[in-house]
Amino acid sequence: MNVLEIKNVTKKFADFIAVDNMSLAVAEGEIFGFLGANGAGKSTTINMIAGLLRCNDGIISILGKNSAKHSRFAKMNLGMVPQDLAIYEDMTAYENVKFFAGLYGLRGAELHDLVVEALEFVGLQDKHKSYPNSFSGGMKRRLNIACAIAHRPKLIIMDEPTVGIDPQSRNYILNSVKKLNEMGCTIIYTSHYMEEVEEICSRIAIIDHGKIIAEGTKEQLKSLITNTKDLWIEVKSSENLNIQAIKEIPGVEAVSIEEYFIKINSDTGVNNLNKIIEHLINNGIEIRGLQEKAPNLETVFLTLTGRNLRDQ
Amino acid sequence: MIGTKLVLLLYIAFCFVRAEGSSIDLAVLTFLLYFCINITLYIFKHTTIKRLFLIGSICITVAAYSMVHPIFSILLPLSIVELAAGFIEQKFIHLLVSIIPIFYIQETFQPIYGLVAIFCFMLYSVTTSFHYMQVKDEAQMDSMRKAMGKLTKRVNENTEYIRQSEYTFKLEERNRISQEIHDKIGHSMTGALFQMEAAKRLLETDPGKAAELLQNVIQISKEGIENIRLTLKNMKPPTEQVGIHRLKLMIDDVNAKQPIKTVLTYEGNLDVISPIQWKIIHENITEALTNAMKYSQATLVSVDLKVLNKLVRVEVRDNGVGTDTIKKGLGIIGMEERTAAVDGTMIVDSTHGFSVTTLLPI
Repeated sequence: MNVLEIKNVTKKFADFIAVDNMSLAVAEGEIFGFLGANGAGKSTTINMIAGLLRCNDGIISILGKNSAKHSRFAKMNLGMVPQDLAIYEDMTAYENVKFFAGLYGLRGAELHDLVVEALEFVGLQDKHKSYPNSFSGGMKRRLNIACAIAHRPKLIIMDEPTVGIDPQSRNYILNSVKKLNEMGCTIIYTSHYMEEVEEICSRIAIIDHGKIIAEGTKEQLKSLITNTKDLWIEVKSSENLNIQAIKEIPGVEAVSIEEYFIKINSDTGVNNLNKIIEHLINNGIEIRGLQEKAPNLETVFLTLTGRNLRDQ
Repeated sequence: MIGTKLVLLLYIAFCFVRAEGSSIDLAVLTFLLYFCINITLYIFKHTTIKRLFLIGSICITVAAYSMVHPIFSILLPLSIVELAAGFIEQKFIHLLVSIIPIFYIQETFQPIYGLVAIFCFMLYSVTTSFHYMQVKDEAQMDSMRKAMGKLTKRVNENTEYIRQSEYTFKLEERNRISQEIHDKIGHSMTGALFQMEAAKRLLETDPGKAAELLQNVIQISKEGIENIRLTLKNMKPPTEQVGIHRLKLMIDDVNAKQPIKTVLTYEGNLDVISPIQWKIIHENITEALTNAMKYSQATLVSVDLKVLNKLVRVEVRDNGVGTDTIKKGLGIIGMEERTAAVDGTMIVDSTHGFSVTTLLPI
């Protein structure tokens, strides 16, 4: 079943169309990534899914129920980690999580267990008595996540949870996203860091100007652009090189030589690196360096929209 | 409404004349004041002003009731109903409100007041509901007319499209045949002719050589016939030729006629673009260029056509002023609809100049 289904959703702010007739479906167990530049409409879409904004047109269904009509049901099944921290500085970590989980009607021992579990999950069990103002940015983020997951929602929405935090916390968060997913949660993850999206998301939608430009697994998205990658091999000398023989290696599409670089254009679907290297070594060619220029999601975005993900 | 008021006034005047005795000057003054207010009232559109006038009218009526003659009270209900209609939805409340003054007026006039109030209320509610129905009908008519306009436009577009594609196909076919005739059959025929001429001259001096030449001619003619057969059979037009050539022609045309410099670049295997995609690409580029000419104040427009692995990407970008908020006019909506018809997407962006990008799946 689709955990989330968006059908022809449009959101306008006066003259500005933030989300333009968007449709998409997220199946159970996916980590679905929204990739787009700032102002592409990611947060607006997410706020509409979470019920914080009303759409002008279209239907959003969560677990098969129209979220506008069954907003209570939708909210019970949904956990949201907003872009801006939503924690209280004058409550301890434990109290924060307890407060948010309590909003979902949890009480007593059950509430306590879930709060402890959530804090353990984000690695803050030792700090449960501390106040967030003594926390680092990364710890605050983790606490924010704990607040969103304590009531065990089916769908967790994370709106740029790694903005402005240290690399360690970032890794921790990415790993916990994966863990949550393994535990059966469906996750919607937005970011304009394509490396993160590429690392954790099983399916990705590229959003621009409120529209989904392309959607699919990262392989599918990359193959929209090209099926080949460039391999640059730096060698000591290319004198003994038999271009024809390299061309005959399966998957190789084109070979050219520029001074000390052998540039091989090869099919991404064929793993022929071993054979190429073997061939070079057998011919007594000394390899000094190797660079692979495969398309990444950034290239895909750039090629499709003509712009970079960042620095607009 | 004015009609009702007039009738009421006439009735009052009649009663007044019959009753006699009271001061006729004041009565006439009241008539005129009431008349002025209730006529100017309908000139204004603004609801607050209307309400002020209605309140004024009520005040005059009350004043006339107490100072001139009690019969003036029957002017009250209509003004009250009109005023109340602006605040309260339920109709029976209007009636109730307009009935209330009955308790404060002289007993002799109570029955007539009640009658007038009910009469006014009925008249007013009938006219308003009629008015409401009329407005609704008009709105419906309007929307139907709009829908009709849209449909007619679509039909026209479709006919135009059919006409265009017919023309394109004819042109493509003609181009193909003439090219084939020129390239292959024409050459074969000329070659054959030359060799036959030579054979004719050699026939007496060197029959062996002549026979050899004739054999050649036979061979060439055979090939020629084979070519004719192939040309007639081969129905596949070289679309990429027609498409990109037309595009180049169009860009050249724009460059010649318009002050903006337009540059066309393309890469990838153009063969994979289908005729229908070419049509959409053409139309979108034309539309985007028109927009650029009209609004951008740009000096340079670049048109870029890229065939990617699974997508065709067409971008028209200018170096003009762009815009803060993109308002979708008919042009952009038309492009979006065309593009969506083949499962494509459009991106309109205005961060660096103005750009329209069309993405079509292959």
